Amino acid sequence: MEVPAGFLVVSLLLSCFATTSYGVYFSSLKETLEVTASPTKGQVLKAGEDKITVTWRFNQTYPAGTDSDYKTVKVKLCYAPLSQKDRSWRKTVDLLKKDKTCPHKIVARPYTASNSSFTWTVERDIPSAIYFVRAFAFNAQEEQVAYGQTTDAHKVNNLFEIQAITGRHMSLDIASICFSAFSIVSLAGFFYMEKRKAKASQEK
Amino acid sequence: MPEIEGSPGSSMHGVTGREPVLAFSVASPMVHTDRTAKFDLPVDSEHKATVFKLFSFANPHMRTFHLSWISFFTTFISTFAAAPLVPIIRDNLNLTKSDIGNAGVASVSGSIFSRLVMGAVCDLLGPRYGCAFLIMLSAPTVFCMSFVNDASGYMTVRFMIGFSLATFVSCQYWMSTMFNSKIIGLVNGTAAGWGNMGGGATQLLMPVLFEIIKKAGATPFTAWRIAFFIPGWLNVIMGILVLTLGQDLPDGNLSTLQKKGDVAKDKFGKVLWYAVTNYRTWIFVLLYGYSMGVELTIDNVIAEYFYDRFDLKLHLAGIIAACFGMANLLARPFGGFTSDYMAKRFGMRGRLWNLWLLQTAGGVCCLCLGLVNSLPLAITFMMLFSIGAQAACGATFGIIPFISRRSLGIISGMTGAGGNFGSGLTQLIFFASASFSTAKGLTYMGIMIIGCTLPVTLVHFPQWGSMFLPPSQDIVKGSEEHYYVSEWTDEEKQKGMHQASLKFAENSRSERGGKVASAPTPPENTPNRV
Repeated sequence: MEVPAGFLVVSLLLSCFATTSYGVYFSSLKETLEVTASPTKGQVLKAGEDKITVTWRFNQTYPAGTDSDYKTVKVKLCYAPLSQKDRSWRKTVDLLKKDKTCPHKIVARPYTASNSSFTWTVERDIPSAIYFVRAFAFNAQEEQVAYGQTTDAHKVNNLFEIQAITGRHMSLDIASICFSAFSIVSLAGFFYMEKRKAKASQEK
Repeated sequence: MPEIEGSPGSSMHGVTGREPVLAFSVASPMVHTDRTAKFDLPVDSEHKATVFKLFSFANPHMRTFHLSWISFFTTFISTFAAAPLVPIIRDNLNLTKSDIGNAGVASVSGSIFSRLVMGAVCDLLGPRYGCAFLIMLSAPTVFCMSFVNDASGYMTVRFMIGFSLATFVSCQYWMSTMFNSKIIGLVNGTAAGWGNMGGGATQLLMPVLFEIIKKAGATPFTAWRIAFFIPGWLNVIMGILVLTLGQDLPDGNLSTLQKKGDVAKDKFGKVLWYAVTNYRTWIFVLLYGYSMGVELTIDNVIAEYFYDRFDLKLHLAGIIAACFGMANLLARPFGGFTSDYMAKRFGMRGRLWNLWLLQTAGGVCCLCLGLVNSLPLAITFMMLFSIGAQAACGATFGIIPFISRRSLGIISGMTGAGGNFGSGLTQLIFFASASFSTAKGLTYMGIMIIGCTLPVTLVHFPQWGSMFLPPSQDIVKGSEEHYYVSEWTDEEKQKGMHQASLKFAENSRSERGGKVASAPTPPENTPNRV
């Protein structure tokens, strides 16, 4: 009985090394949405201050009825390849549930075939990088069924840049200096006082 | 008998070869208990405690223990505070994978040098000031995180904070002034293990602080900077506590030690020579780089790994990462325990096999950690890896006291530095380049651990043997006395400088394992003051 049990354990372990690969693949989606965004090519936007206006609609050149199962549209801010370089946490993967290209949500709206638009103030936790905008259409089962993006298939054209906030504040800098000074001064103070006490007791 | 006190090679003085299992107290009649001294714990003639009462805060011995390990714990918190917040920091500072990896290397590199210097600092200023100086001067470096703007600033600050890991040396030094040599192994092992837990605690603490500060209204890119104030304050608070509550010696502070003018000091050059020319030193420097070194590496990369690979929330990734470091609570003492246990039956050969088994098992689990795709399995392998690596750390210091008696301090220091060096090296090779993913890096690191643990098979003691070879049959060369006294020249032997080594050799006969006929104690034997 030992051999089958061992075999079972090993095969169980090995099966856990295998990847699960069901889900929607980006390459299976059709680009049936037309998406435009207000930033011009190469424009630099400031996080927390500037706004992006996104408009999207169904591309009428596709046969009618293609959009019959579109229920919601999610518009996302996506990294361009230049900003993905050397940063594997932003990697593009075909399997959409593992894809990290578009982590920042701009808006989610119920789907309508006509023109929709939304104006979004760039949030203060958006990092400095080169971006484009992509919209996904979801069906009732919350699966992606179509998409549209502001750039071309190779993600080279029409990219824009966002400059993040530094996160630094004058008050933080001042507090930091004060506490550092306190640390050094109290250490020096203790040392000096103890040396004086030792000298005084030696002279007694 | 002149005692060589305060000399460079004895910075870890008191770590004897004979570490009894579960050595909570010294029952041996050889240790002369000083009953006239008024301390909470029984003490020996040097007023060092002979009993280790874990939950007491009695001044000075146990209070020193707690001040010491908590200071060391605090520096671990500060050094690895950035690691669980890297997913936020990398967006704020626009870091690439190599930036993050290089900063990780920098965080463990500084202390290679500071640990080597710290022994001398403790000799000069005493462990109390050594510890306080280090943690209070590194507090400003922690506060400096609020100024960081880019990758180079980030790396510089992490490098400077990393210097504070030298509190390991002040911690061990301070313990050896307060605790008798018969229990110093357990005391030092516990203090070191509990200090190392800071690397785990910080993975839990920093994300929680970050979430709280974010909830209070700060944006993420400001919240992480504010979170760094807490480790900074901890540094300052511990420094003040050490200065106000601590004392260098059981009887008071360092000025009394400095009154003992006529002590024969050992020569630093000689002590260094005997450390460097002993090949076993270098094998253990390498080995510790792949037990302690990989532990430090994992402290730096594991939270980010769980965050990215399994799409966990920041504080959840932090909780899992914390479990790795917190295992030190029991895992490191466990390694020392198994080392002592194997030594009882198989002597030094048992200790070597024990170390090889633990460290290799850790390597295998690290290999698997990088391969698995399911979260529960990843956590399981991570925990098994942590137990293997940390127990190996404990087991390493179960063997180190036997490599040399004269140069014990320097060998311990070099081994400790080797740990940091190994960490820097593995982070540089496996986690700082974009050529392969963190998962692959973990797998390759596991393979490297297995490979770099093999040299332990080469460690051979003529009197005890090695993993595959029996001890030498030669009557002279196969004796403990010959091994330990060979570190002294004839001139030095004439001056009687080798007496402590002789005594140590006698005590170390227990490393033969099995049933050892105990050597009869000579009638004029003075109390054990190794």
